[in-house]
Amino acid sequence: MLNNSYFSTGLASLILSLFLIFVAIPYGVTAPSNVTNIVLSPVFWPEVLSILLGITGIALMISGRSAVKDSVAELLPTKGCYKRIALLAVLMAVYVAAIPWLGLVWTSMISFVALAILIKTSHPRTALISAVIIPLVLYMFFAHVAGMAIPQGEFLRLP
Amino acid sequence: MTLLENLAAGFELVANFESVFALAGGVLIGVIAGAIPGLSATMAVALTLPFTFAMQPITGILLLLGVYKGGIFGGSIPAILIKTPGTPASSATILDGHPMVKNGQAGKALGMALWASCTADLISNLALILFAGWLAAFALKFGPPEFFTLILFSLTIIAGVSGDSLLKGIVSALFGLILATIGLDLVYGTNRFTLNDPNLMGGLNFIAVLIGLFAIPEILAMVWNPKSKEGETQNLGKEWVTFAEYKRCFKTIVRGSFIGVFLGSIPGIGAAPSAFLSYSEARRKSPNKENFGKGEIEGVAASESGNNGVAGATLIPLLALGIPGDVITAVIIGAFMVHNLQPGPMMFLNSPDIIYGLFMGLIISSVFLFLIGSVAIRAFSYVADIPRGILFPAVMVLCVYGCYAVNNNIFDVGVMFAMGWLGYVMLCKGIPAAPFLIAFILGPLLEDNFRQSMLMSGGSAEILVRGPITWFFWTLTIITIVAIIRSGMGKKKAEAVEHGNQE
Repeated sequence: MLNNSYFSTGLASLILSLFLIFVAIPYGVTAPSNVTNIVLSPVFWPEVLSILLGITGIALMISGRSAVKDSVAELLPTKGCYKRIALLAVLMAVYVAAIPWLGLVWTSMISFVALAILIKTSHPRTALISAVIIPLVLYMFFAHVAGMAIPQGEFLRLP
Repeated sequence: MTLLENLAAGFELVANFESVFALAGGVLIGVIAGAIPGLSATMAVALTLPFTFAMQPITGILLLLGVYKGGIFGGSIPAILIKTPGTPASSATILDGHPMVKNGQAGKALGMALWASCTADLISNLALILFAGWLAAFALKFGPPEFFTLILFSLTIIAGVSGDSLLKGIVSALFGLILATIGLDLVYGTNRFTLNDPNLMGGLNFIAVLIGLFAIPEILAMVWNPKSKEGETQNLGKEWVTFAEYKRCFKTIVRGSFIGVFLGSIPGIGAAPSAFLSYSEARRKSPNKENFGKGEIEGVAASESGNNGVAGATLIPLLALGIPGDVITAVIIGAFMVHNLQPGPMMFLNSPDIIYGLFMGLIISSVFLFLIGSVAIRAFSYVADIPRGILFPAVMVLCVYGCYAVNNNIFDVGVMFAMGWLGYVMLCKGIPAAPFLIAFILGPLLEDNFRQSMLMSGGSAEILVRGPITWFFWTLTIITIVAIIRSGMGKKKAEAVEHGNQE
């Protein structure tokens, strides 16, 4: 019987290992030409780890073919789960992208409300009040107690 | 300096309002976070970490240690009341804690959990004070080859024991080690996987990685299934634990504490196996063994003393060797790094006041745990009622602020979200996150010590077996690998037999 979580993890590890060995290490790691001993080269450690990852990946694939039971508790799909997960990915991307433009506080307020809607909060009023208070309290702590520069954005600046 | 002088210096550092307040606040935050199903002690420590940046090193670390200890105990509250362990370490507490609730003895079960936790915590702290200094003095004899073999041994055991599958644990650790190579090379200063982006030249930010791995996947899981992580609170009942019951369970509590101390001092084993071992030993030796699983108070005492006995002991390898004993101490190591402190044997020589200050603080934390825990038990129904639809958005905002605050860098927030998705995929595939994080921390140390050894020997591998200490760790590594493989094969055989019987 094919054990999915073992086999797919093994396959992904093997592909990642091959990608590292043939693409990422040759093009992404700079090794000085005067290194005489391979073990001291900057590429040595990533190469060893990539090879080990490939070997472990193959072992996982073999183990996936022979294992009789998958210990991973299945995350059963619920109604609209893929849509919600995709929307969360968009929300995270927008959150990061909007911070320099809107500022951390306002972006956090909007994201708070968006996530509360996404997980279908049964307390919308409390969520709205919390969405305003929590980012403001955090701003007060980090900006005025810890003395950190919190991004203010281009529109409305806080004291 | 003598031990007494060091303790006095440590006491001086801790005996101020700030430190005491941080410790009490930490225990309170930990108990609340541990009591909320869906938040773990690890997540609580990770989210508290950014708030320590502006504090004195000792105050910040005490705050985190308070959260750690409070979180481990707090996890037992929902385990007993709603059969949902707040932390994995509390899983064994369900076995007898929840049946006691069904029998109308919720207050008694929670009371015993608190008393057992505080006793075990105190024993564990005393073990830390007694053994950490001794181990650190021994570790001063270590050079790069000895440290290399020690870290390799730690990684083997961590990868092997933190999940159902050794291979998945190894994959997780390898991911962590590979990710730790991003940045400038330690010896030559050349680029490694930086894509010529200055944000990547210092490597991935540790705080972004750990918050991403441990907090964001919980939000993703909540979005996947918003109906999950809901429980029903129970009435505490009128019965409370008596001193006679505590006295009856005292032997079990002490046994559980020592099991916790022993397992906690070995990097990677953690609190959950200790709680189960303590529970099974208590059942084996108890005259009421047939009552276990049906609401036996000794069962609660055993599991709680087992998991809290680990809390102080996991700091032994952290403080003495610089090796985190479990995933929470791996997070706490971040607080040391942020304040330019490197835990390990040299810290006992360079900053003994901080070390002994931590020891004194830990002893005080047991008292706070008792006081705050007593109140928390009664207040739990309010804590558990925090709607998930507000809690998780708040956690996300807290993660973003905390992550941004480390370097004032939005790039780190992006890294955190990316690591969150990786953590979620790992969660779905049953790959444990703990080996990843610990390997990510230990990776640079492992490589650095390996390359230093090679520089010392001119590239000869013989230096890695140069003396009894390296031999000792090589032997332990081999024994561990063999033991893990054998246990894995035994499990597989048992599964095959079970599968055959079902067919």
